[in-house]
Amino acid sequence: MIKGVYDVDCGTWSPQGKLIQVEYAMEAVKQGSICLGLKSQEYAVLCSLKRAPSELSSYMDKTFKVDDHMGLSMAGLTADARSLCKYMRNECLNYKYNYEVAHPVERLIFKIAEKSQKKTQSVSTRPYGVGLLVIGVDQTGTHLFETCPSGNFYEYNAYSIGARSQAARTYLENHFQKFSKASLERLILHGLKALKGAVQEETDFNTRSVEIAFVGLKENFTTLKEDQVDSYLKKLAD
Amino acid sequence: MGNFEFQKIRMFGRVERKPAEYTEVYGEPVKHTSDPIVTGSSVVALHFNGGVIIGMDTTSSYGKMAMYKNVNKFEVINQQTVYAASGEVSDFQELTRFLREVERRSLNAADGYTHNAHDYANLLARKQYQMRNKGDPFLVQSVIGGIVDGKPYLAVIDPFGTPLQKTAVLTGYARYLCPPIVQNYWDETADEEKARRVVEECFKVLFYRDAKAVDRIQIAIVTERGVTIDEPIKLKTKWDHEAFLTRANEKLHTQ
Repeated sequence: MIKGVYDVDCGTWSPQGKLIQVEYAMEAVKQGSICLGLKSQEYAVLCSLKRAPSELSSYMDKTFKVDDHMGLSMAGLTADARSLCKYMRNECLNYKYNYEVAHPVERLIFKIAEKSQKKTQSVSTRPYGVGLLVIGVDQTGTHLFETCPSGNFYEYNAYSIGARSQAARTYLENHFQKFSKASLERLILHGLKALKGAVQEETDFNTRSVEIAFVGLKENFTTLKEDQVDSYLKKLAD
Repeated sequence: MGNFEFQKIRMFGRVERKPAEYTEVYGEPVKHTSDPIVTGSSVVALHFNGGVIIGMDTTSSYGKMAMYKNVNKFEVINQQTVYAASGEVSDFQELTRFLREVERRSLNAADGYTHNAHDYANLLARKQYQMRNKGDPFLVQSVIGGIVDGKPYLAVIDPFGTPLQKTAVLTGYARYLCPPIVQNYWDETADEEKARRVVEECFKVLFYRDAKAVDRIQIAIVTERGVTIDEPIKLKTKWDHEAFLTRANEKLHTQ
């Protein structure tokens, strides 16, 4: 996949009009394990499949709480995700201190996008190698956003990023019209079904490797505990 | 930190503090204005059943001299928020610049989200608190009135940076003279006409008793439909009392 002499840094365009370093960064996102998000009018849900670096290790968390009303899941370099998450948490705290109100979701995503874009216009730094799926609620309702290493961001009703995410996206595309009025339980089950579609035979799909989180108009961002994940996986099996 | 010896030199109302042990970079002492120079007087603001009504007079005083007689004291931050303040006028103008800048950033973001009166009140509180911590407070009592989530919202922020959300706000001399009027003639279910009459009555009493008050006032109203600032009105006050005309008291003294 080496593109020759135009892929050395972000300061170089390729003749095809691409920034190849940025594309490589987006490749890092595609290599990360899958995470997906979907939303209804009242809830937004994140489902992720965690990876364990080895048999001896625990599974690496992919879901982070940003504030009571917002959280994210990532695909790609976890360290980059942590760095962005720390920034987001700080911004949310400062906003709450100044305005006594939760940070509007799109404004924060815009800040992340700006941050990411700066890295794509520099010779000396590399772009972030992580894509975030951010769910949040604010005055304007529930939101699901995706951020890219390129500095773009997109709002979705349902989306999936990471390895084999196309399979999950196909499921979401076929079913997304049912999400808007679905209950929280139905929404989570949809997410798990979509996730299952993207799982290969030999990959673990159990309580330890599946991560579910949600946020609601009246409920704070919560990551489900093992027993709750277990009950949902059992319901899925039925 | 050691003992500070403060030398106070009062010059035209400005106090210069010269801490003995503290030297600034350029060898000059730190100077902060401690008394307001050009001031606005009381703000009277009330809820009513459709929104918020705020009244102020149209005068800026230079000490006890009514120097600027036709001042518009209301700053419309957006169509759901009005800002007014009593105290130092230049600080009011500085805070207005600050709030307008914040509003402008919202416009630039163009994402359909704007700050409301509640956000601005808390932001002002933080700003005033910040300056107070530096020993250089904004010498104003700020009042933010607006509509939040369809309901009237009113808050006052004192020079220390304490925000208080209230249904009736009185600042300056109105704090001392007007509570009985507000308590007896107004409640939160009042309609606009009733609230307006209470505000006018408050300013009448202020004109009678507050030496820095003037009988020309202006009223701003914030409802769901937006902000309206009325033309200034002159209050009808009574000065032809029998006692004044016959000078009854004076007779007693001269006897």
